[in-house]
Formats: sequence, structure tokens, C-alpha cells
Amino acid sequence: MQIRWKIVAIVVVAAVGLATFVSRKTAAAGVAQAATPEVKSPLLADDARSGVPAISEELSIPATTSAINSSTPMSQRVVHYEIDAKYDPGTHTVDATETLTYHNLTGQALDHFPLHLYQNAFQPKSTFVRESKLEGSRDTTYDKWEEKEYGSENIKSLEVVGQGDLTGQLQFIAPDDGNKDDKTVADLRIPKPVAPGGFVQFKIAFQTKFPETQARSGWKRDFVLGGQWFPKIGVWWNGAWNCHQYHATTEFFADFGVYDVKLSMPQNEVVGASGVLVEEKSNPDNTKTYSYHGDDIHDFAWTASPRYKVRESEYQSQMGPIKLRFLMQPAHWSQAERHDRITRNSIDRFEKWYGPYPYKTLTVVDPEPGSAAGGMEYPTFITGESSWFMPEGLYGVENVVEHEFGHQYWYGMVATNEFEDAWMDEGINSYTEVKVLDSILGSNTSIMNLVGANLNEHDEQRLMYVLGASDRDPMAQKAYDYYSFGSYGGVTYGKTASVLLTLEGIIGEDTMAKAMRTYFMKYRFTHPTKEDFLKTIEEVSGKDLRWYFNQAVYGSKVMDYEVLQVESFPVNWYEDKKKDAKTSDTVYQTYVALHRKDDFIMPVEVEIKFDNGEKIREHWDGQSRWTRFSYQKKAKVVSAEIDPDHTVQIDRNNFNNSRTAEPNAKAAHKLSNYWLFVTQVFSQALGWWAV
Amino acid sequence: MSEKKGLLSAGLSIVLRNKRYIAWFFVLNLLLGLFGTFAFVNQAGAVLDRSLLSDRLVHGFSLGALIEMFARPEFGPTIASRGPAMFFGLLFLGATALFLPGVFQGYASTYRLPREDFFRACGRNLWRYIRLLIVAGIVMGFTAGVLFGIQGALATKAGESTNELLAPEVQLGGLGVIFLIMTAFRIWFDLAEADVVLNDQRAVRKSIGAGLKHTLQSLFRLMASYVVATLVAAMILLGGLWAWMKFVAPENLAGAFLMAQLTLLLLLIPRFWQRGVAVAYWKQKMVVPVLTAGPMTTTTIMPSRIESISVPVSAVAESAHPIPDPPSEPQGF
Repeated sequence: MQIRWKIVAIVVVAAVGLATFVSRKTAAAGVAQAATPEVKSPLLADDARSGVPAISEELSIPATTSAINSSTPMSQRVVHYEIDAKYDPGTHTVDATETLTYHNLTGQALDHFPLHLYQNAFQPKSTFVRESKLEGSRDTTYDKWEEKEYGSENIKSLEVVGQGDLTGQLQFIAPDDGNKDDKTVADLRIPKPVAPGGFVQFKIAFQTKFPETQARSGWKRDFVLGGQWFPKIGVWWNGAWNCHQYHATTEFFADFGVYDVKLSMPQNEVVGASGVLVEEKSNPDNTKTYSYHGDDIHDFAWTASPRYKVRESEYQSQMGPIKLRFLMQPAHWSQAERHDRITRNSIDRFEKWYGPYPYKTLTVVDPEPGSAAGGMEYPTFITGESSWFMPEGLYGVENVVEHEFGHQYWYGMVATNEFEDAWMDEGINSYTEVKVLDSILGSNTSIMNLVGANLNEHDEQRLMYVLGASDRDPMAQKAYDYYSFGSYGGVTYGKTASVLLTLEGIIGEDTMAKAMRTYFMKYRFTHPTKEDFLKTIEEVSGKDLRWYFNQAVYGSKVMDYEVLQVESFPVNWYEDKKKDAKTSDTVYQTYVALHRKDDFIMPVEVEIKFDNGEKIREHWDGQSRWTRFSYQKKAKVVSAEIDPDHTVQIDRNNFNNSRTAEPNAKAAHKLSNYWLFVTQVFSQALGWWAV
Repeated sequence: MSEKKGLLSAGLSIVLRNKRYIAWFFVLNLLLGLFGTFAFVNQAGAVLDRSLLSDRLVHGFSLGALIEMFARPEFGPTIASRGPAMFFGLLFLGATALFLPGVFQGYASTYRLPREDFFRACGRNLWRYIRLLIVAGIVMGFTAGVLFGIQGALATKAGESTNELLAPEVQLGGLGVIFLIMTAFRIWFDLAEADVVLNDQRAVRKSIGAGLKHTLQSLFRLMASYVVATLVAAMILLGGLWAWMKFVAPENLAGAFLMAQLTLLLLLIPRFWQRGVAVAYWKQKMVVPVLTAGPMTTTTIMPSRIESISVPVSAVAESAHPIPDPPSEPQGF
């Protein structure tokens, strides 16, 4: 007890001393700034003698709440973007001015600021294109370079308020791969550092030229999706700037803040964007200016097309009304109701299970057909994907809209680092996609229920994993370090969803649901790490799950268990062969052998069925390569099945998880009948036209 | 045959009089199909036969289980099952070509064609049909290639439009046009095939020429008949699939097999109906008049007196290779 009090006393004294020291220094700096007439900037000032930076009191990040159903800000706001942009549909370019106010909450003086210039990725020598050619990408193969694929983001001028025009100080850097031709990150070193707690304001004039849609940004015909279109500052995270180059597999990472964006474009355009529309004004030059405001968001996207048909509705969420806006392609107008319905159902499930949706708007865009703009998430703004032919029973619309809405939680509010922990947004979102769509569309039919065939989300996620390069990469890996785009997709989406579904089987579905809600509520409007997530699950479940996480999350081990042997024979087999015929008194020796074929070790259940209806459940820890169970019963074994409750989603071969004593060709014959039918139709069709 | 009788009904009555050909072709189609499916049975069985997971394919049709089955190494390469299916499909095509002359002969016959006449027609016309098929393959293949190329180009161009429906409309419209054009070609070569057999035409080019001439002469009449038969085929196929899904439980293998085979049996009828139409048309329009010499009157010619010699000739309309007389005892193929 005494020792403990001593420690407490020391800590208190140290804290008081430190606080006194810091306040003195701050006061001194403030005085120095006030007493130094040549320091014109109210934002930054160094104490000439101590080098300690000053704190500005004239700038701030607005504490507005007009775009959220909350009377107070919900995030620690770091940035305020004020952008005045004019879009020219003829040249697909945006000319804009951007005022970026940054609040230094890093706890240390900052003397350089990295900026993302994402649209520069669409150039032939960029890292994005280089990787796309090598590893594949979402939509473009780059077989040859075409001018329409060219995109750019040029800073025409950059002034740091109080420090003058520093355009010449901008330097392209390539922190990930050293590619000198990559221009997706520019670093600005400023002469006067920004003090901890201080503000700095950048005034940037830039021009962005969009490519024909790539990576969910750009134009197609008369449609445009303005995503990642403005110079955007990196994130100070874990004690350093985190500002990665744009890679073929990566998405984004940014700080929360306030966005005030004015978009001017021809009057005939129908426009949608992140945030709340606060003003719509006609201009003399036959353009209109739309003013949007967003609170507690970390990106801003917009779209325009003269052909959108608009459906609007309202949803009463837990925190207040949400205005739902659907921008539909004319040929998909009949699907507007489907978009609306799945959006409402998704909000309902997410609010019930994970937490409230606090924003006042949600814009759902049905993008131009054939564009690479479908299936993308931005704060309060998502793109779906559809086609003129989308029969009921084929849930393509529902899958995409639900998935992208889910990103409002896993990326939008729980803003993980998509460059480094892609599984935490895409994978966790794929997991909740399974849960939500199972609940809405049925657990066996959540993707398709058409002409007697069905496909569900569990299978889709698992197959994405096991049919991909399942053993090449772990989940906990930077998105740009995956072997290939296929490996990235299979592991980031499919494996993560399957790993979390399997985790449900280990800690229980209810516990997992509680852990997910705890994680969301604890880390919303922050940038959690992978350990934050994993520890939350361990804390909520009260279990040490490192054995599982080390293999499934941090490792690339693969699971494949099989039933190796299922066999019964009479104990007294040697006595009289005529007694082979089964009688009620015949005692059989039964063997069931299990085999762990791969390196992932996990305890499993096995259920053994006998022909008298008896079922036995056994537990195997999986530590050895194989195990064998034996029984003596007056019954023959019928089958053995590993994981009879079907909770394990990461086994790469589900067919060998069970084995019957006698073969049953019914399924093979059924499929063969289909194949026979196809073969006969084919030969008849050949005969129809050829002779 | 009355010219006034419609081609469709004439063709259909020919087919109905000769149902046995459809039955035999159905058996052939089924047998070759079964041969083509054996590899698939073995491949699927290697994955499914001892797994409880296969239940998802028996009591339903789980695409997830199906995809996983195809991906299993035990299933082997899909070409192992596609290859035999293709091979036996082509074999059915060859068999059709081989036996079709007999079918035409039987269709033109007013009685049940004896078996030996059926096979004689097949044998006599084999080499002619091979030549005919080569010509038809070149002409129809080339035309189809060009048409699909044009359709693709138009659809690509339409895809640039801001009207999303334009491209599928162009594609569907293009398919309709291609179907009509290719049907016209099919009529042409069906008439040529009928003519080769029924006129015993050794010079295949003459039958091709005659087929083309008559196709152009009676295009709309023939086309209407062929299109109707095709629509009937489409209805049979869609109706069969609908009934299969509606009335056959997923786990009812025997029911599924019977429904599938019934659909396939019915599906053979429209094509034979088209051939019946070709034969009916041939009988109405293409039969070649043959000059048959009548009894010759001769007179002794005296050197001193030359009298006129008259050789009466009567023109009788019948096929060059006359439709055989009925045998004493009906027997047929």
C-alpha cells in the first residue's frame, strides 16, 4: 500500500511540474509572438530564442453541426476544407481554389506537410499503373496507354498563410517504392513550424483533370464521379505522417473535419455530393453553383450527369431524420425502389446491431453503365451498380448498395487506415455484409434465388478466399504489399469475412455481435489499429484468442481438415463368413480417422452417425496430424462429419469434411442429368443449323 | 400433293406420317449424349459421392457447392468433360448428315419406306451430302461471321450512346436479323439437300442452284413456315424448362430425367417439321419433269417412198429418281 501511494505522489508531482513548465513556455511564446512585430502570421511563430512555436488563437475548425443529427461535433476535427470548384464537362477538368485549415493535434511542432494528389496516379509511369500492369487491378488492364486514361492533379499555386507562396517548395516524394515518376504525394516543407495545438492554413489553386473512369473516379460519356479530386493532407498517425502513394490495390486515409464545398457546373447537370446541400444558385454564365457542407467526415465526393432521375425519401434514424437521395440511371428507374428498400433495411440493421448513423443525408448513386465508378464509398455518399437487366431474385443491386452503405461504418466513422489495414474496412465490412444480407434476404439466398438455384454470402466470401491465392498473404499486411490483386481481394474481403464468421463459432454469435458493437461505439470517429479491434474482441469475449489471431490474422496458414476413414466390420469377422450379414446381435468394430492436411491448427467437433440412429460427438484439438476414434457397437457407422454445425468458414475444402461409409451417387447423377441435357441441346442446335 | 395445301400443314403431316425418324434420332441423340456424359459422372462422383455436402446439390441447387466442386483438383480439368460432350455432339451432327438422305427419301415417299431403301438413299447420297455440307458450311459460316462482326461493331458503337438500352436493343435486333438471314440460308440448303436426294442429283451444284432459285422465289412463304417452326421450338424449350422447375422436385432424379428427355424429344420435332416443309415444297415446285419415251411407231422405209416417222412423246411429271414403288410387304426403317 505504501509503495503504491508513493508512486501516486510521484506521478502527481511530476504532472503538476510538467503542466507548470508547459504553461510557462506557452505564455512566453505568446508574449514573444505579440512582442515581435515582424512575425506577420498570426498562425505561426517561433520564439526567437527558444525555438518553441506559438499557438494561434485566430483560426479554428468550425464546430458546426448542421450536417449531423447531433448538437455537438462527434469527431476530433483536424481539418477544414473550403473548396470553390468549377467543373468543365467538355474537358473533364476542375479548376478550383482550396483553403485548408489544419489543426496540429500531434503534440509536436510540424515543419512539413504531405499532400495526396491522387489523380496523378493515372499516368503511365505512376506506381498505380505500374502495379496494375504487373498485378492486375479493379477495372483497367492497361494493355496500351490511351490518352483518355490520363488524369492529373496540378497545384498551380500554394500559399501558407503568414509564410507566403511556397509553391516552389513542393516536392514529389515516393515513400513506399521510391518511384521518382510517381506524383501522387507531394511534400511541403515550411520555414516556420506549426506549434502543437496550433493551426496552419494553406491556400491552394489547383486543376484536376479526370480520366475516363478508373478506380471509381472520373468521367464516362456525360457522367462524372468526382472522387479523390482535390489536394488532401496526410494523417499524423502513430507518431508520424502517414501519407502513402496511390497504389493499384489501395484506398484512402484521412482526418475528420469540416467540408464546405462549392461546385459550379452547367445548369443542365443533376448533382449529388457528400454532406448537406445548403445553397443552389444560378449564375449569369448559364452555370449553377451548389454549396455543400459536411460535418465529421474525412472526404468529399460528388457526381454530375444531365440524365440522372432523382428519387428522394426520408428515413427516421435513431438520431434523427436522414434524407435519402437516389440518383438513378433512366434505364434503371424501375429499380429505384429496390435501391431505397435495401438502403433502409441496411440502416435499420446497422443501427440495431452496431450503432447509430448520425448524418443527415445519404446519397446513393447509380453510376453510368460500363463505367468503373460502381461500388464505391465516400462519406454520406455511395455508388451502387446495376444494369438494365436485373431480375428480382438476382440481388446484385442489394449486395453492392448494402456493402457500400456498410462502409459508412467501417471506413466512414471507424476510419481505419485503408493503405495499411485494408482488411479492417473491406473485410470487416464484408463480414457485416454477410450478417446483414442474411438477415434481409435469407441465409441461403442472399446473393441469388433464381430458377431453382441459390447462392449465399457465406459461400461467396469463403470461395473468394479459398479459390484465390489463399496462402500467399496474411490479413495483417499493407494493402500494396499483396502478391497480386487477386490475393489482395481474396484475403482482404473473403478471408477476413470468413475468419470473423469462424470466430463467431469460437466465441459465440451473441458475443461477437456485442464485440462488434463495442468496437464501433468505442472507435467511431477515430483511426483504430488492428490491435484495437482484436483486443476489443478478446476483452468482450473474455478469451485469449491469440492462438487464432496469430494464425488467421497475422499468419497465412491454411486450414484443411478431412475425414480420412469411416469403416465398420464385425468384431468376430473371422468366425463365419455367413455371419457378415447384419443381425441385431452383430457387434461391429468402427474406426473413424481424421486428418489435418494443412498447417492451420484449430480444435474441431466431429459427429459420427450410426445406422441405428445414434450420433456421437467427439472433440479433436487438431494438434497432431491425425487422430482415430474407435467404437464397438451393435451398429455400423454411416458417416462422420467434421464441424457438423458448419461454423468453420476457413476450411479450404468443405467436401472432405465429411465422409459416408457407402457412396451415394445421387448428387453426381443429378448434375450429370443437367450435363446430359446441355449436351443434347448442344448437339441438336448444331444439327439445326449445320445440316 | 395439292399446291393449295399450306406448307406448314403439309410439312407437319409428312412428319407425323414418319414419326419413327424422330424417335430414332431421339434415341441416337440420347445415346451419344450419354456417352458424352460418362466422363462428367466420374468427375463429379470423385468429389460428391462420399461427402455429406453433396446434399446441398440434391435438395436444391447450391451454386456455392457447385463452384467448389468444379474447383476441386479431384474433379480434374473441365475439358475432360467438355471434350467428350463436344465430340459426341459433333458425332450426332455427322450421324444426322449421314441419315438425312434416308429421311428425305422417306418423307417424299407415299408409303412406309423399306429399310434397305432408306439406307440405300443414305449411302447413295453420302458423298453428295459431304460436298453439300462443305459448301453450306463455308457459305453459312462466312455469312454468320460477317453478320456477327457487323452486329458487334454496331453494338459497340451503340454502347457509346448515352441511351443505355440502345446497345442491348441493337444486339437483340441484330440477333433477330441474323436469325432471319441464316434461316433463309438454312431454307436454301434444306431445299438443296432435298433436291439432291429426291432428284438423284449427282451434280450438287445444280441442287444448290435450284435451292437458291426457289428460296428467292418463295422466300416469304418458306420463311414464314420456318420461323413458325422455330418459335414452336423456343416454346417447347422454355415450356419444358418451366415445367421441369415447376413440377419436378429438386431431389426427384427420375422425374428430372424424364422431363428433360421429353423436352428434348419434342424439341426434335420442329427441325424435322422444317425438313418436312422443304420436302412438301419440293414436291410442289421443284420436281423436275422427265421426258419419258412412249411406244414408238415404226414404218418400213421404202427407198422409193419416204413416209413420215412420228415419235409420240409424252411428258410425265415425276422425279428423276422416282419415288420407289411400294414393296410387296411393307417394312420400314
